[in-house]
Amino acid sequence: MISRVAESCYWLNRYMERVEVLARILGVNVAFQLDVEIEDAERWRPLVIVVGQEADFLKRTKESLQDDPETVQDYLTWDEENPSSLYASLRTARDNARTIRETISLEMWETINDLWVFLNERRAQRLYRSDRQAFFLRIRNQCLLFHGMAQATMLHEDPLEFMRLGTAIERVGQTARLLDVKHHSIGPTREEKEESPVEIAQWLAILRFCSGVEPFLKRRTAAPSGKSVAEFLIFDPAFARSVTHNLDRSDNFLRLVRPPGESTIGEPSQTLLTEVRAQLASMTIETVLAEGLHETLTWIVESMAQVSASIHRDFFDVSGQVEQASHQA
Amino acid sequence: MAESSLEQPLFEGYQPLEGTWDEYFEKPGTPREEAHKVVELLDALGSNDFRSRRKLADATFLRGGITFSVYSDRRGAERIFPFDLIPRVIAHDQWQRVEAGLKQRIRALNAFLTDVYGEQRILQEEIVPPDFVFSASGYIADMKGVRPPGGVYVHIAGIDLIQDPTGEFLVLEDNARTPSGVSYVLENRSVMKKVFPRVFAEAHVRSVEEYPLQLVEALASVGPAPDNEEGTAVLTPGPLNSAYFEHSFLARRMGVPLVEGRDLFVERDRVYARTTLGPRRIDVLYRRIDDPFLDPRAFRKDSLLGVPGLVGAYAKGNVALANAIGNGVADDKGIYPFVPDMIRFYLSEEPILGQVQTYVCAREEDRKYVVDHLDQLVVKAVNEAGGYGMLIGPQSSRRERADFRARIEGNPRNYIAQPRIELSTCPTWADKEVGPRRVDLRPYVLTGTQGTWVLPGGLTRVALVKGSYVVNSSQGGGSKDTWVLEKGNG
Repeated sequence: MISRVAESCYWLNRYMERVEVLARILGVNVAFQLDVEIEDAERWRPLVIVVGQEADFLKRTKESLQDDPETVQDYLTWDEENPSSLYASLRTARDNARTIRETISLEMWETINDLWVFLNERRAQRLYRSDRQAFFLRIRNQCLLFHGMAQATMLHEDPLEFMRLGTAIERVGQTARLLDVKHHSIGPTREEKEESPVEIAQWLAILRFCSGVEPFLKRRTAAPSGKSVAEFLIFDPAFARSVTHNLDRSDNFLRLVRPPGESTIGEPSQTLLTEVRAQLASMTIETVLAEGLHETLTWIVESMAQVSASIHRDFFDVSGQVEQASHQA
Repeated sequence: MAESSLEQPLFEGYQPLEGTWDEYFEKPGTPREEAHKVVELLDALGSNDFRSRRKLADATFLRGGITFSVYSDRRGAERIFPFDLIPRVIAHDQWQRVEAGLKQRIRALNAFLTDVYGEQRILQEEIVPPDFVFSASGYIADMKGVRPPGGVYVHIAGIDLIQDPTGEFLVLEDNARTPSGVSYVLENRSVMKKVFPRVFAEAHVRSVEEYPLQLVEALASVGPAPDNEEGTAVLTPGPLNSAYFEHSFLARRMGVPLVEGRDLFVERDRVYARTTLGPRRIDVLYRRIDDPFLDPRAFRKDSLLGVPGLVGAYAKGNVALANAIGNGVADDKGIYPFVPDMIRFYLSEEPILGQVQTYVCAREEDRKYVVDHLDQLVVKAVNEAGGYGMLIGPQSSRRERADFRARIEGNPRNYIAQPRIELSTCPTWADKEVGPRRVDLRPYVLTGTQGTWVLPGGLTRVALVKGSYVVNSSQGGGSKDTWVLEKGNG
């Protein structure tokens, strides 16, 4: 497929994933404040940190409002100048979709465009003010509908595989960032330390951020704690948002978009990803905690940035093709 | 009672204009035979119901992103093209004649292009004055001797038609370069089916669905490797172009890639697409980029939209371009007056479709008449489109006329003039009621090596502003669905 189109497919899903993650964590956090006594500063600011916008937020927000829940939610939901806001992420996703309408199915386009039209209407503002959980739930469900539409209406070949590759790569990074929320709100996690009820509540919230409460309970390995939640979100082979599961999926989709046979196209990305997977497989939750959870999560996020850059070089950067054609001719 | 007045029949009180052909009504209260059924079906809905269906239609366009781009503004960067729900209706037999006339005209235009870029017989015999051809801005001298793959120049044509006060279809303008608008024909139809399912089912309308299939077949037929649909692509200037929706729509409905100039390159006079699996040959391009921007090596050096070397690959016969390069000489408004003679010259037939009487300002006799009668004529610059560069004499000010007189005398070759035709009207929803609004029609004609095919109907454009003659979307125009009735239904 056309490289530019493949790139848009890949980024379409990465941005749709960001929209969904924001809708999920904001929705969970709105509900979470009812459960446990926790300072506003510890509850909301970490969300700005995990989307990587703390500097911009602090620069553009009055000091007295920097820990204000409404201000943070408005910033993460609606702020058009915050490129990581839900609104801006959806705009980017839709701009990508609009340039590949001939590639994605009509149903997918309508799913994204419906959400975009909704967010630009007054009724979205009204719902946001009157029933915020319902507002975020609606967005989350529309994102899930998008994935379902893709599976059910597209040919299962390159364009869809590039989209799914984007989702998998994005999820690895997102889960690592979300696990790190606790580091930003409460502090480092150590195995030997006894955890407070607030910390336990925070781990449960992180599981909810990842739609992981029930899958976690099915494992029945241990009560929710830093150790058991981190182990589940990093190492579980079957959980839809775990790091390991999405590394496996990335590897699989990468294989699918590479040409069959002897071709070397995509080989550097595959090699790099194999190294990351091997390194993670050599770790256990005990070694991770001994090393420092935050440090390991940072390594995961940085490794995925490298893999993504390599995918870009292998499939989307087309500067070398003129030479290839001249060999063919 | 208030309630019953809201539910009045849609066409109650409708007044056709004097001296103008109305598509629906012979006189107030008397529908034409072909419109009878539709009038009855729409009347039965009543105006309240009609209003709520209008809302549904607008929401459908917005939801589908069936929009054109507006460059200036980021948030509302896309607008929907105004759509009127009352269809234009054309009787079966009348359409048969129009279709035959269109096919004839396209055959002649194709023969003209083949000749002008070949032997130039028509110039030697002075049926078309050579200086008219050589001074046409669309004439590209470098294309002389380059035969396009399959011998086809005008793969996709849009021929603008109007109906005069007797109801006769006349050709107003030819578009042999990159006529746009066909996506609206298909989308308007699908919205109509959704909004008026019952009316539609009972009216017996000819389908327009086949267009993308006919187009991809016509394109594949001219490929240097025949019927190789894999190597076909649509070439767009990109998402900022106002017709981007259409480019994307056609690629989607034909099942071929949509590419931008930067997705392609030329190596050893062959065209390749940059794909995730390496370079891939392309041998047919439905290009929606105008000639001057197609190849910075051949034409405008500053073009970032084009593909360097594309014209060279085309000249070698390694890629088919639809439409061919240099077609602008055939749809030049200064050449238009000679088309009936072309038909006689190349086909030895009489033209089936009439056209509008035209004064060619380059001829001294015509020019004298034009400058003396500016208040009665419509003057058009030959190289402008979209309703620009035009003087509508009867509606002009003294100052505008003086300005055009000076322009005509300064550059007579650049102007033609025509009497103002009272364009036909079609009932159209305006504010709170239905009123007569002027319309034109752009049918689409496809040509491959296997012959010529005409889309039943085409794009009806309507001047939504009361009293206006300008149907262009950039100047307050909208569109309507066009219903060509099946045989035996009018």
